[in-house]
Amino acid sequence: MAKYLFLALLLTAPLAQAEHGADADGYTRPLEHLKINPALDQREFERSTLDALDIYDPWESWNRRVYHFNYRADQWVMLPVVRGYEKVTPGLVRTGVSNFFSNLGDVPNLLNSLLQLKGKRSMEITGRLLFNTTIGVFGLWDPASRMGLDKQSEDFGQTLGFYGMPDGPFVMLPLLGPSNLRDTGGLVVDFAAESQVNFLNVAEVSSDHPEITLLRAIDKRYSTPLRYGQLNSPFEYVKLRYVYSKARDLQIAE
Amino acid sequence: MPLYLRLAALAVTSCLSLMAAAETSAPAAYGFPIDNPFEATIAGTPAELRPALPSDDDIDQGDYSLNLLPQREAKLPSNFWPVKRLSYRLARQAGPAPLIFIIAGTGGHYSGGKMEFLKRLYYGAGYHVVQLSSPTSYDFMAAASRHATPGFSVEDAKDLYRAMVAIREQQESLKITEFYLTGYSLGGLDSAFVSHLDEQERVFNFKRVLLINPPVNLYTSVSNLQLLVQSEVPAVRNQGSFFESLLGKLTHYFQDKGHIQMDDALLYDFQESKERLSNEEMAMLIGSSFRFTASDIAFTSDLINQRGFITPPHYPLDDGTNLTPFYKRALLCDFDCYMTEQLIPFWRKKYDGSGLQMLIQQTSLYALEDYLRQSPKIAVMHNADDLILGPGDLGFLKRTFGERLTLYPRGGHCGNMDYRDNSQAMLEFFRG
Repeated sequence: MAKYLFLALLLTAPLAQAEHGADADGYTRPLEHLKINPALDQREFERSTLDALDIYDPWESWNRRVYHFNYRADQWVMLPVVRGYEKVTPGLVRTGVSNFFSNLGDVPNLLNSLLQLKGKRSMEITGRLLFNTTIGVFGLWDPASRMGLDKQSEDFGQTLGFYGMPDGPFVMLPLLGPSNLRDTGGLVVDFAAESQVNFLNVAEVSSDHPEITLLRAIDKRYSTPLRYGQLNSPFEYVKLRYVYSKARDLQIAE
Repeated sequence: MPLYLRLAALAVTSCLSLMAAAETSAPAAYGFPIDNPFEATIAGTPAELRPALPSDDDIDQGDYSLNLLPQREAKLPSNFWPVKRLSYRLARQAGPAPLIFIIAGTGGHYSGGKMEFLKRLYYGAGYHVVQLSSPTSYDFMAAASRHATPGFSVEDAKDLYRAMVAIREQQESLKITEFYLTGYSLGGLDSAFVSHLDEQERVFNFKRVLLINPPVNLYTSVSNLQLLVQSEVPAVRNQGSFFESLLGKLTHYFQDKGHIQMDDALLYDFQESKERLSNEEMAMLIGSSFRFTASDIAFTSDLINQRGFITPPHYPLDDGTNLTPFYKRALLCDFDCYMTEQLIPFWRKKYDGSGLQMLIQQTSLYALEDYLRQSPKIAVMHNADDLILGPGDLGFLKRTFGERLTLYPRGGHCGNMDYRDNSQAMLEFFRG
């Protein structure tokens, strides 16, 4: 049917040849300015999407179950907790909490940036840590971003990817969401490094005060924009998997 | 672009806006900055030109759900658990206030970006706001659509109306002074049919109804969107696929920039860089997004009705089932395929329909021509460069709506909704 429409467009084209000129009704006919494959048999959408489905996922059935588990946990536990958190704390406090944990996170960012021998980036992250920890009072404020030192994240998964380690199988982690074998290993290393560094003594104090870890988890959910069901598609799992894997490729390449 | 071309473009666009101003009530000096309809459709309005709106902290809102099809709930496979009840979002004012229903565009979820924008806009102006998913969306099809075969506007309007009545009952404590209705894209067309149905049912007696960038002829719109994936993009001749080539461009762009920054300004900045997308690539992107929606519709409709085009009837499905084989089939089914295999046979059987022409007539604004002409409470906003229109559609709107059509010279498909002049006009229309 689209073929007939295209023919009709071709036949009426001379009437509206002027670039971005309008017809008698004032319509500019934007599609007429496109280069369209004349045979209408281009299968690039199909080729691209079928190609995008090809992500190594040998544990797919298990992963899909974890996806549904996460979705339920999110709806019934985590998001209600986040809503409660939003109700009892003023916005300024929530921003302070986010900044504080984000500043802690700049430690693994710096380590991984150094491991990848990224000199300029390491300097910038060092600058962020210095300004935010001092002027920003232990990271409660983020003056570094205002000075133009934007947050740049580097984790051990990225470092491994940087040195050529492949993704490995896709993994849907309970509560934490999409990942792959390489990045899951990276998470463990970053976590261990953070407790070793014990920056601002937080790692040590947290072991006696689980409420700090809890607050960090709530803040993590609060500041992560992903909502399960947001894509509103029966194929959300596949789409998340694709986006995760490509976003990681992008972070590693950059 | 050489200077003379820029000047020529400027001359053409200013002529255009003058022409538009002479014919309709569009503002004479229209400042929406993007004159490329593809870019406007994808990027929307630059942040600094959007109106100031209330933030989430200032809005008393919540998500609610309804059990509209109890007999279907048990039949749906377990991996459909999130969509067994129809969810919607309500933002409530403290005291009595008018209530506005907002209907999403094709495949759209009630919490999508444009829906959230409209909610903030109307909530800020003092309305209670109810956000509804499109009848073509996965959640609405599963939880609220009695036949789960969307695309026939009359039936879609009945499903929407049932949901709206049920919401009114569920929120009976809400103090409502009067009812309003709006929707963008397909949601605009849906609004017209819902308003028409309300003239008989009289539950809401909508005071005013606004259609934002609606399709005029639904089939023209669908065909246009399908045609976009036939745009000639360079990827076809290379080894990598179209998506790979886009990601490659994005990677180069971030490498040049020195770091990754995803924000509102990304697309404008990207289009200024050497990696910029051609019109054909942007068209391909818009067309692809529509094809994704079409495959969701084809899959969901087929599964709920057990038609067996994509999923074999009675195929066991649960949370762990690998859906990729079915997705592969669904991706090959464009909107024409959905119409031929599912919508038209359904409509023939139920409505004793004949051919495609009759279906087009019944599902497009043409079917409501007399009603729309005689109803001063209904207005339409549209763009002279909207991708979903065809030749003659604006003529139809002008003849039918007369003064009640506001035609903007640019904006692509819904790209200027959040431009401050447009949002101002949307509020003023309801203020009356």
